[in-house]
Amino acid sequence: MKKLIFIFCLFGAAIPSLSQDNSFLLYSFKGNVTVVENKIESAAKVGRILTSNATLKLPTGAVATLICNESAMFTITKKGSFALNQFGDSCMVKGGSVSSNYVKYVWAQMTKSSGSPGSNRKAFMNNVGAVTRSVNNIWIDPRLDTMNYVSGDFPLSWKSYAEAEDFEFFLYKSNDGSPAFYKTSVDKLKIPISKIAGQMSQGNTYYWTAAVKGEENEEIKTLNYVTKETYETLLKEIKAAVGAYESEAEQAYRIAFMLEDLHYLSQAYDHYVKAAKLAPTNPLYRSTLMSFKKDYEIK
Amino acid sequence: MKKPFHKHVIHHVKRAHRNVTKYLYERDTIFATIWVFLFIMILSFIPSMKFLNPVKLALKDFDFNDMAYAKLEKAEKSKFDVGDSGKIVIINIGLADREGLAMLLEKTASYEPKSIGLDVWMEEPREPEKDSILAAAIRKTPNLIIASRFKPGKGKEEAEYYHNYFTQFTGAEEGSVNFAHEELATIRLWNAYFKHQEVEYPSFALALIKKAYPDEYEKFRKKGKDKLIINYTRRTNQYQVINPDDLMMGRVDSSSIKGKIALLGYINLDPNNIEDKKFTPLNDKYYGKSVPDMNGIVVHANIVSMVLEHNYIKKLPSWFIWLFAILIGWLHMSLFIRYYLENHIWFHLVAKIAQLASAFFFVWLGVHLFDRYRIKLDMKLTLVVIVLAVDVIYFYEAWAVWMHKKFGYKTVFHHHHH
Repeated sequence: MKKLIFIFCLFGAAIPSLSQDNSFLLYSFKGNVTVVENKIESAAKVGRILTSNATLKLPTGAVATLICNESAMFTITKKGSFALNQFGDSCMVKGGSVSSNYVKYVWAQMTKSSGSPGSNRKAFMNNVGAVTRSVNNIWIDPRLDTMNYVSGDFPLSWKSYAEAEDFEFFLYKSNDGSPAFYKTSVDKLKIPISKIAGQMSQGNTYYWTAAVKGEENEEIKTLNYVTKETYETLLKEIKAAVGAYESEAEQAYRIAFMLEDLHYLSQAYDHYVKAAKLAPTNPLYRSTLMSFKKDYEIK
Repeated sequence: MKKPFHKHVIHHVKRAHRNVTKYLYERDTIFATIWVFLFIMILSFIPSMKFLNPVKLALKDFDFNDMAYAKLEKAEKSKFDVGDSGKIVIINIGLADREGLAMLLEKTASYEPKSIGLDVWMEEPREPEKDSILAAAIRKTPNLIIASRFKPGKGKEEAEYYHNYFTQFTGAEEGSVNFAHEELATIRLWNAYFKHQEVEYPSFALALIKKAYPDEYEKFRKKGKDKLIINYTRRTNQYQVINPDDLMMGRVDSSSIKGKIALLGYINLDPNNIEDKKFTPLNDKYYGKSVPDMNGIVVHANIVSMVLEHNYIKKLPSWFIWLFAILIGWLHMSLFIRYYLENHIWFHLVAKIAQLASAFFFVWLGVHLFDRYRIKLDMKLTLVVIVLAVDVIYFYEAWAVWMHKKFGYKTVFHHHHH
């Protein structure tokens, strides 16, 4: 009986702590975010403390970052009304003690492999990056900058921070701020180059960007439309680069890797596909192809 | 009958104890340990080797405890300095010019913070109109601290103090914003104040504390310390950072500034933007080449937090670090000599395992003491001693045998051949 009373007492003590109200602080926000508290709707303010009974309303493109119980930070990026009492999970502080993290870290260091260019292509890829200055709703992967295109159906893709459904693609002849010579509307987060190839002539450099419909994006990426002759010469050099014997699949994989490094992404893709087809049982070729497709939004 | 488990454990512990202590009080163990330290001293006295020694150069700015921040999420365990319990708020000045700064200053002051710190070094006049606007704003803000700079003297070189351009005609109070550290080195130490020609110049953080919390200032001064290790407890986003647009457009709740120390400085969270960023122990990369990780204003914020929370780091004295290294080196030497003489076939394997296990344990011990008790025990010397001990045994054997032949020196090594 004593034990039963003890257990009940234990539960009794635990229940209030489980149902304890969380306190939220609006750390930052973007867009016209509003707060509904005690049935009164008001504009959000940075640093405002909210109870778990409050509701946060976010329109399209708005973002709000909150701190729960001065311990855990989380961000809401979706449009809609959010009652804060549904974010109880976000109030939990993750991670173990420093000592347990030390053991995990040492173990990870002792067991993880540093990889090699062949198996971890992204870690060794010599990508050309570019500075990003303005803040806008569209993010274009720097790996798509200074891309060399010869032929094929390769997508130019981007990511949107706004929940937009329509986007505009702009193609420029120069990067001096002059207006786009070609623009088109798209309802996806990518456009195949083959769709715009007719607007370009080989041997020239073009510039492109994408924006949420009605908005502008100052971040411009370079696209070199390379002639077939230039590419053939390069391919010949790459093929001749290794004197030792290599199988057709090995050669295709090596060429793909080198072409990707040189930003011939469409041609690199063709060769990754070729390597995977020639050696279908090779897990490295297959996983690299899958990873490449994921990186460049190839479906 | 099978032996109970605890007896197995006791048996192995006793065996390990025997292995370590069998040669502990032998003259050879003590002398070999002394030789390890002689080697360390000899190596450190070769100045010309310094620039050729990549290990020494790499370790110059290295601290094992940095791992606690970089990889073990020490800072992430701290509560955010926000809300009712928060004492600091950072106002990002962005790329504002002097007129913009005046507007931000006036707006911040209207929220009635305890004190305001403007972390902008203004050495000379610029556009007269904008300078006048800023000067007027500074005059109107009695609880403001503006930035000055102090250059400590080196050797015979005189120390220099540089006033802010606006001090002379606004009468504003100053605090030096720079840190006395080597160029591109990690900022670890805080000089609370500098003395120059019998005049005491407070640092930016101390001047702010004096304005906002006079009692805390007095408590700190009673400690009588002017140079402290900075206890970094928070990353940038663990402080309430307010963007200039939000402040100017009234999108800030008054409670987030009122009654707090408002720090006006440049913040940029882009890791590729290194403008006004310093190297701190919170850098994700705690060894080798890296990029600066924290804006100067956040370093000041961490210092203010440390003083207000009485969260100081206690550094163990050098004599203790040497004593600790001697003790650990002696124990290791005893174990190594035991295997060197009696089980030479296992010597290298045991030595390597012992070195690895010791490195793992002592780094953990240092990190644990630092995290839990804020005690800083520098483990570098101890680990160097453990590493050198194995090589020194070979040298010591040759030296002891030579001494034995020449002077009849009694040694356990004289019959030993391997």
